[in-house]
Formats: sequence, C-alpha cells, structure tokens
Amino acid sequence: MDDRKIQILIDSFWPMLKAGLQFTIPLALISFVLGLVLAIVVALVRIWKVPVLNQIAGFYVWVIRGTPLLVQLFIIFFGLPTIGIEFDPFLAAVIAFTLNMGAYNSEIVRAAIQSISSGQWEAAYSLGMTRGQALRRIVLPQAARVSVPPLSNSFISLVKDTSLAYTVTVVEMFQVSRQIVATNYEPLLMYCEVAVIYLMFCTVLNALQNVMEKRLERFSTR
Amino acid sequence: MIQIRNLHKSFGSLEVLKGIDLSLDKGKVLVIIGPSGSGKTTLLRCLNLLETPNAGSLSLGSSQLAFDGGRKPRKEEVLKLRQNTGMVFQSYNLFPHKTALENVMEAQIVVQKRGKDEARKRSLELLAKVGLSDKADVYPHQLSGGQQQRVGIARALATDPEVMLFDEPTSALDPELVGEVLKVMKELAAEGMTMVVVTHEMKFAAEAADTVVLMDGGVIIEQGPPRQVLNNPSGERAAQFLNLLTEKEL
Repeated sequence: MDDRKIQILIDSFWPMLKAGLQFTIPLALISFVLGLVLAIVVALVRIWKVPVLNQIAGFYVWVIRGTPLLVQLFIIFFGLPTIGIEFDPFLAAVIAFTLNMGAYNSEIVRAAIQSISSGQWEAAYSLGMTRGQALRRIVLPQAARVSVPPLSNSFISLVKDTSLAYTVTVVEMFQVSRQIVATNYEPLLMYCEVAVIYLMFCTVLNALQNVMEKRLERFSTR
Repeated sequence: MIQIRNLHKSFGSLEVLKGIDLSLDKGKVLVIIGPSGSGKTTLLRCLNLLETPNAGSLSLGSSQLAFDGGRKPRKEEVLKLRQNTGMVFQSYNLFPHKTALENVMEAQIVVQKRGKDEARKRSLELLAKVGLSDKADVYPHQLSGGQQQRVGIARALATDPEVMLFDEPTSALDPELVGEVLKVMKELAAEGMTMVVVTHEMKFAAEAADTVVLMDGGVIIEQGPPRQVLNNPSGERAAQFLNLLTEKEL
C-alpha cells in the first residue's frame, strides 16, 4: 500500500469516528432505552392480557416486525410530512428505531418475564405485595438477568442498523464515509475503514455485555 | 381466629372444594392431610387468597370475606388478609437474587415500610430463631433445602402474621433434612403461633397438631384431635388412606 493511501486512511479516521460518537452511538443509545421502556410496557400488556391494549400491542408488533425498517424510516420521514406531520431527520430516525426496538424487544422481555416461575409471584403476593411491587422488586430483576444476552444482540444489531439513517439525511458515520468517498474515489478503502469502526463499537459492546452478565451472575436462577 | 363456612372452589368445570366448614382458635395448630388431589393445598391457598373461592365465607383475624354469588374481594381486603398471614411453600420460592437476610427484609421494607435498620435487626432476630445467623449474607442457591426452607419460614414470619400457612413444607426435602424444618415448626407451635399445615408427616401431625383434618375428594371426611383421627378413624375411606400412609412409612 502506497503512502497516499495510508495518508487517506489516517485523515479520514477521525471524521468518521467523530460522526460515530456524535450520531451513531447517541442514535442507538436513545432509541434502545426508549425502545426498552416501550418493550416492557408492551410485554406486560400482552402478559396480563389488558383488554383493548392487548390487541393494539399485538397489531403493533405484527406490523413492525412484518415490514422493512427502511420502509418504516421512509414512511416517517418522507411520508408523514405530506399529511402535515414533520420531524427533523435525527428525530425521525429515533422514532423509527424506537418503534422497531420496542416491537422486537417486547418479545424478548415477554419471554424473560414468563420464564420466571409463578412461585416467585406467589411468594411476593403471599407477603402482601401488590402486583406492581412484585413486578418491580422480584420479577423484573430476575427477568433482566435472563434477557441480557438477547437484548445485547438487539442492541448490537441496532448500532449497525443506524447506518440506514443516512437515507433520511442524518449525517451519521456511514454517511460521512460516503461523503469522503465522493472526494477521494477510494470506495474499497473507505468502506472497509468504516466497517472496522463499526466492528470496534460492537467489540466494546460485547465486552460490556460480558461485564453485565458477570455482575448479574452473583446469584443463580436455579 | 379462622372461620370457614361452606367454602367452594372450582377450576373450570372441576370442583376442587365442595363445601368446607372449618374453624380454628388462636394459638392452635391445624394439620390437613389427605391423598393428592383431595383439595388440601387449594384449601390452604384459599386462606390467603392465592385462590379466590367461588362461594362461601372466610373470616381470618379481623378480615371478613364472603364469596357468594362469585363476589371477588377488593384489592385492599386481599392485601390486608395477606399481610396477616405468612405462607411457607413446598418449593421454598425464595427470591434467588437476594441474600437470606434480604429475603427476610424485603416485605418489611416494601410492604410494611419499615426503615432499613429496623428491618435488618428484626430479620437477624428471625434468622437466629431458625438457626441461620451465620447464613445471613448467603444466596439461596448456596443453601441446602432444609436451610432454604428455614429462611422461607423466617421470611413468612417477618411481617408478624397472626396465622402461618405451611404447604407441604418438607415434601421437597431429602429425608435427613426434614427434621430441622419440623423442629422450627414445633417451636413456633409451642410459642403459640396459629398454624395451618398441609403435610404428609404423620409424626408431626400426631405430636404438634391440636386438630387433624382428613380431606378426600374436596370434602372433609374426618376431623378431630390427632389421636382420634389417626388411630381410630370412623370412616372406611379414612382408614384406607391412613393404612396406605403407614405402609409407605414402613
């Protein structure tokens, strides 16, 4: 590899990483946290079969999981403005990713909560706890332990899926790499470089997952 | 302390309790025995409303509940009754993410809103009472079955219930661990705790019970002091069941 190419790699590294830290990570983090709250609500509505809400939740999960994320992004950013609902690009992306995470993760959370034996609920009830107290103090902490691996999976997918946000004009990491390619005509080099930065992010997340699993392992569920 | 009148409970079309009448005075120990499927565990679970009866009435302490016409108790009534009872489960059901001490503290903090220090002090007393002072900071999976069940008893006692309910507390234990749990239960009985115990431990029934109830097919078929029910049952079905149990023990 000649010096010019090495110089290009070095010069483009920081702009890409900066976009990653400024947009890719915040976009993923905000969407994941909001999506997790939504997922827990949807999971509980479905577990407790809350009338009406249960049907709405089922419909929501069905639609989101059955349509492409890219199409959802386009509907929110390009479609809704035609009926007068407008979002700036970053917000549109957050909404789309949040709805997506909410639907997928609700199934993870639902399975995790249902994997906790009914005896745990009964023990909490027998002590005089309300359903909310039993959920918060007894069941959710145990369900969290079970759901760390699949939720980590979800989060890692999301970090990579945020690259789709370039289509709705968010200047996230992938978009920056595209802009650099447009100036230096080195697509192979630049796209490999941005891939390596995604890989770095996901490696850090993997390590975080391991730390969390270790921390939650101080008790065994069986 | 406990008055049950004409209690009925069905699961779908299956009628599990077919009219139970029972009463128990304060400080007395009631032992319920009977073949599996006789409804004894369901009856016990009706006493703290883990199951809601379909008909009849229940009074326990200051709680008065009537279930006729499918009436469901209000949420506050349910919580009040449960705070007044403690339950010990066959499979312990300790909270695996909390230490023995935290298991005993939990309801005091969440339900009774006691301060942490007060709850800790009371919990350590209770763990000492069941002989587990040295295991306070240990997680349930590090304890033997017998130790877990003793933590279960301490946890149930932590809210100062007037009645303790035991659902086959020794059935999941290895034989050599049964004694330590029964010992704690006998001590409780001797202290004057009102107890309802579903068990297959005939020796415990004979030694600790004030009243033994024998259930079969959702009804009570024998009721009386242990000597009478266990040694001289009046009905044929009761005699059969007791013979079966004695054979098993030999």
